[in-house]
Amino acid sequence: MKLSQKLAGSLLFRSLTCAGMLCGAVMTTGSLLIAFGSAAHAETPAACAALQEKYPELKGKTLVNAINPHTPGYEALDPNDPSKYVGFDIDLGEAIGDCLGFSMTYKPVTFAALLTTLEAGQADIVISDIYATKDRAKAADFITYLKVYDGVLVAKDNPKNITGINTSLCGTTAAENTGYVEVPLIQALAEQCKAEGKPAPEIQLYDNNANCIQAILSGRADTYINDVNTVDGAVKAYPDKLSKATAVTLPYSVGIAVPRDNHDFRAAIMAALTEIQKSGLQETLMTKWNLPADQMEEPKLVLAD
Amino acid sequence: MELFLKYLTQPYLLTGILYTVMITVGGLFGGALMGMVLAWMQLSRYRVLAVFARIYAIIFRGTPLILQMVFAYNALPLIGIKLSALEAAVLALSFNEAPFIAEIIRANILGVDRGQTSAGQALGMRPGTIMRRIVSPQAFRMMVPALGNEAVSALKNSSLASVISMQELTLRSTQLASSTFDFFSIFFASGLMYLVLAGLIAVLQIIIEIALDLDRPKPQDRLLSLMPWIRREMPVAQTASAAAAEEGLEECMPARLPPLDRAARARTLAKAKTVLKIEGLVKSYDTRKVLDGVDLEVRQGQVVALLGPSGSGKSTLLRCINRLEGWDSGTIKVLGRHIGVDGNGFALSPREIADARAEVGIGMVFQNFNLFGHLSARENIAGPLRWVQGMSAAEADRRAMELLERVGLTHRADALPRHLSGGQQQRVAIARALAPNPKMLLLDEPTSALDPELVAGVLQVIRRLAEEDGLTMLISTHQIGFARDVADRAIFLDQGSIIEDGRADRMLTHPENPRTARFLQILSDDTPLSA
Repeated sequence: MKLSQKLAGSLLFRSLTCAGMLCGAVMTTGSLLIAFGSAAHAETPAACAALQEKYPELKGKTLVNAINPHTPGYEALDPNDPSKYVGFDIDLGEAIGDCLGFSMTYKPVTFAALLTTLEAGQADIVISDIYATKDRAKAADFITYLKVYDGVLVAKDNPKNITGINTSLCGTTAAENTGYVEVPLIQALAEQCKAEGKPAPEIQLYDNNANCIQAILSGRADTYINDVNTVDGAVKAYPDKLSKATAVTLPYSVGIAVPRDNHDFRAAIMAALTEIQKSGLQETLMTKWNLPADQMEEPKLVLAD
Repeated sequence: MELFLKYLTQPYLLTGILYTVMITVGGLFGGALMGMVLAWMQLSRYRVLAVFARIYAIIFRGTPLILQMVFAYNALPLIGIKLSALEAAVLALSFNEAPFIAEIIRANILGVDRGQTSAGQALGMRPGTIMRRIVSPQAFRMMVPALGNEAVSALKNSSLASVISMQELTLRSTQLASSTFDFFSIFFASGLMYLVLAGLIAVLQIIIEIALDLDRPKPQDRLLSLMPWIRREMPVAQTASAAAAEEGLEECMPARLPPLDRAARARTLAKAKTVLKIEGLVKSYDTRKVLDGVDLEVRQGQVVALLGPSGSGKSTLLRCINRLEGWDSGTIKVLGRHIGVDGNGFALSPREIADARAEVGIGMVFQNFNLFGHLSARENIAGPLRWVQGMSAAEADRRAMELLERVGLTHRADALPRHLSGGQQQRVAIARALAPNPKMLLLDEPTSALDPELVAGVLQVIRRLAEEDGLTMLISTHQIGFARDVADRAIFLDQGSIIEDGRADRMLTHPENPRTARFLQILSDDTPLSA
């Protein structure tokens, strides 16, 4: 595990520091080394060998994973070595790659651009804490792997007494990222607020977690509702300034997005994910990244109607 | 502070600079190439090209760069062009910079005095040669500050490539801030990095400006100025006013030449062949007729003074003769050749006209001198000889010095036009026009832009050309005394027509046409004729 991670890390650094196509040679050598590294991988589920035989076209490939690397715990730069990305999603993606015999490079984009990048063919897969909704399924097929728990991030000690996605948000300002599922949920409160004679909640749109958190720190926004682990991370980074008001469940799952037209690829990813869950690897990774075990969800497809 | 220094020296951010620089340099380079093409299209005589360039500018100047980047990265793959982030960023930045750079180029090309283009044309230079040798070097000097601005703005614009996953400085800073929560230290560090890059551009701009400065002292002089203990006479850059003062001393009392032997000249001219034949020349600007049926024949060696009030068509007539202007109807033949049309009467391209001018050999001297501003007096003469006549550098230089000696300016050979007085400039311009040994010299009010005390020197040079060289000359002038002394023949133009034509000495003292008489009367009220 450690050896392969180290190798992958150094390769990632190289692929990031060389420009696009200019270093094809380095990349080729890179994938060979990764293959060597994953062969030594102790925890790769045994059933993966069969999957590699069933989907030989993925073996030895280097796939591009589009991520929005602003979510510590899921995907963010390693603060100790910014040349690589770390987090639960990164480990899960690497595990899927190990299982099917491909390696992964990363393309950092804004949250709103994750699916457009996939659609444009500039990425092969998106594993970036993205919630699988019917709307988003119009742009990509989703394979779910986690349940969604959202945390409500507020200024220290919750001065506005926000208690969730409900009328306690009336008259407050929420910071969210463009394209987040929370946005329409908060917008939908306008009617209820009006009925109670209160002003509707306002929404400020940003394009990454850090900006949303900064919005609360600078007093521009009252709350930021997002994945509970992200919220916990922010509270840990600024214990004197931020609090988690509460946690809420949303009727969504976190999913891996894959192109809509490639059913073989989708089936391969789903099969690998199933094996990773069965072997207990996903649970190990969730523990490593402090995700509660009950967030685990069996893979299922979320497709457009 | 400690964190700030840590991020300032962090290899991860420092390598981000590399991508920022790659996008900026690539975008500027591509933008400059496309900008040149767009500027050329806008300045082209083909309207379609200009319209196309305009539409391009409207689209790419009018849409945000961030959209263009996203388009290049995410929309082009839909039509099968999949670019890497770096390629897409450079492409989008190039397309976005191009119209801005095109406008800078266009404005500065138009900013180069039109007269210099006319002078280049009159010397038989092709349009491409004029652009390369005359317009571009001067336009580029003026462009440097604006291009420096553009480079800094491209540097900052490169940060928008972060939206298409380009690992440049801004994207790296935001990602690092997300994972470390050290928001401010990181952005101060990357801000300082941008500042340093912009500072480097400023330094580069200053170096280029100094290198292109025409008034820059020679390296050894600069060295000496740093060592004041070495006493040596420092060459002082001579100013135009100082030059004028010097010239005033040179020429305040021009030697009075003996009058022409008119009878002898008339006998020679009667036998000489015709070099210029104009028939029924008509030209109008919009609805106003500038030339209204001019017929004129000039013999070899004849000096013709062209007189008439302003707007009478004198300049236009001269400019038509070597095809600096087109006309509506009529013919002009120089040494039996039509300039501007081929044997079958079809119009020639500007390039072919230039070659025809060079072959026929008509020199032209302009009212405003029109010396090439970036070239020394010597180069103003030698340059065209190399570019048009294809002379060797040594030969052209020898010829230039020979001509400068004739006009009495060898001591100013290396001075720039703007350091010469008007009179000196006009003498260099005459030398330049004479350099390729023209068959005929057209002088368009050669002394009317000069201070009175400088006129005599120039007239003296022209007179010697008539007497010593027997050069055929057409001079439009208001110097009646000079015309009477030097010209064999005078022509009075009014409202585009020749209304009197005759022996200069006779016509200028005893005009037959009342309009000529009135005109001469007005002139003599201003400047009394010497007896």
